[in-house]
Amino acid sequence: MVAQSSAPSAAPAPAGGVPVIEARGLGIEFQQNRKRRLSLREMLFTGRSTSPQGTFWALKDVTFDVLPGEAVGLIGANGCGKSTLLRLVAGVLIPDTGGVTVRAGVAPLIELTGGFLGDLTARDNITLTAGLHGLSRAQVAERFDEIVDFAEIQDRVDTPFRHFSSGYQVRLGFSVVTTLDEPVILVDEVLAVGDRAFREKCYRRMEQLVGGGRTLMFVSHSENDLKRFCQRGIYLHKGEVRADGDINDVFKEYVKDSDKGLGR
Amino acid sequence: MLMLDRGRELVDRRQVLWLLVVRDLKVRYSSSALGYLWTIIDPLMMAAVYWLVFGFVFNGASRGLHPYVVFLVVGVLAWQWFNAGVMDTTRALQQESKLVRSTSLPREIWVFKIVLAKGVEFVLSIPVIALFMAAYGHPPTWTGLWSVPAAIVLQALLVSGIGLALASLTVIVTDLQRVVRILLRVMFYLTPVLYSVHILEKSFHVPHITQLVALNPMAGIIDLYRRAVFEDTQTPWQVPAIGAAVTLVIFVVGAWIFRHLEPAVLKEL
Repeated sequence: MVAQSSAPSAAPAPAGGVPVIEARGLGIEFQQNRKRRLSLREMLFTGRSTSPQGTFWALKDVTFDVLPGEAVGLIGANGCGKSTLLRLVAGVLIPDTGGVTVRAGVAPLIELTGGFLGDLTARDNITLTAGLHGLSRAQVAERFDEIVDFAEIQDRVDTPFRHFSSGYQVRLGFSVVTTLDEPVILVDEVLAVGDRAFREKCYRRMEQLVGGGRTLMFVSHSENDLKRFCQRGIYLHKGEVRADGDINDVFKEYVKDSDKGLGR
Repeated sequence: MLMLDRGRELVDRRQVLWLLVVRDLKVRYSSSALGYLWTIIDPLMMAAVYWLVFGFVFNGASRGLHPYVVFLVVGVLAWQWFNAGVMDTTRALQQESKLVRSTSLPREIWVFKIVLAKGVEFVLSIPVIALFMAAYGHPPTWTGLWSVPAAIVLQALLVSGIGLALASLTVIVTDLQRVVRILLRVMFYLTPVLYSVHILEKSFHVPHITQLVALNPMAGIIDLYRRAVFEDTQTPWQVPAIGAAVTLVIFVVGAWIFRHLEPAVLKEL
């Protein structure tokens, strides 16, 4: 069964024909009711990570290619598997069926403040988080000022992170993750961080990144954001790819479905 | 084969691993006034209590080696690394769940960084042992030159193996944390920390009791540390040898369990 409704080549193919992200028959199954714990023995010896009863497939047989430089928007109702798909591509979840090959480094804008520790200063946090995402010490030193400037925390670099307001915490997170120069960027609705002025800055930074030839996979419910950054859309419905192609067409399809009440 | 791939990936990421170890130590010391001293105060206070209770009240000094305080401090500090390492690795993945869910590092790293951070603290407490030895005018032995590094490597492998198994199992069976806490307390008394292996043969007439105790790798590992202090620990070499073999088995099994539970664990986090 092929869940694709149109070939990935529907998007204008940029130079370099080898796809940077290649998903083949991706499927992942989750526990539905948390009461029914699966038997450990079963998991250890059969390699299954879920029990046969009370499960649902969050993603089913998802297949697509993303070429270098493409910007792909993931569209769909809540719970249709968008974020799960992003996590599979980021390699922080392991699929139950199929597989995904990513041929370049990934900068995940998934949990922006995940790496930060409240007790350490902003300076320590920047060094550590950037290091965790693969920057060397020299690279961190080189970009340190840029990160601090972007987050606008010049006068507070030696303040413990927990003393920052939640808005500033996210600003710093965004600032660090977007300075990584990984060729693939995964964004899970974290564009709208901070106040109005900062949000504009975030948008400009994102445009810069996408314009610079990076590959983008973007989860959002905002029509404006999707159309602003992406040329191609993948519409997921109940874990399956329902449409894949030009962002405008795919979005229309989604709107049509959700007006019919099918989207949920 | 898979395990080798993982190993290579970890070697590539050793910089990140080191970064995490430094981060752990920084957090520990930046939020407390006494910082480094805490890593020593805790085990030393315990050693003092054991010394009073077992050294004098129960005349335990005859159950160990002379000087009994030095004998105790070596054992208690080594046990401290084991105890803290196992306790913390049990929670390794839950504690860092946000990072585990947002970075695609080899997941074993979250266990190893705890083992290493605790190991660094242990190494930093070695000067305290030296102080005690100086106070008693007790020179170190030549054997220590290799037996201590060997013991450190073995203990790191042992705690990693147990940690890999427990870290992944606890995500799925949350009650395990409590079980571990109780087991650790029981293990403390079953491990020759307060007493020496050779005493067992005299006190209990159980066949092969030495070999039985040696199945607990910490018995051999602590003995290796003590060989740096005591010329003759009166413990046969087969105790550390059996301990080393069991350690390797535990490490392989732990890594295997971790790999097999990984997909399920990631879903639960």
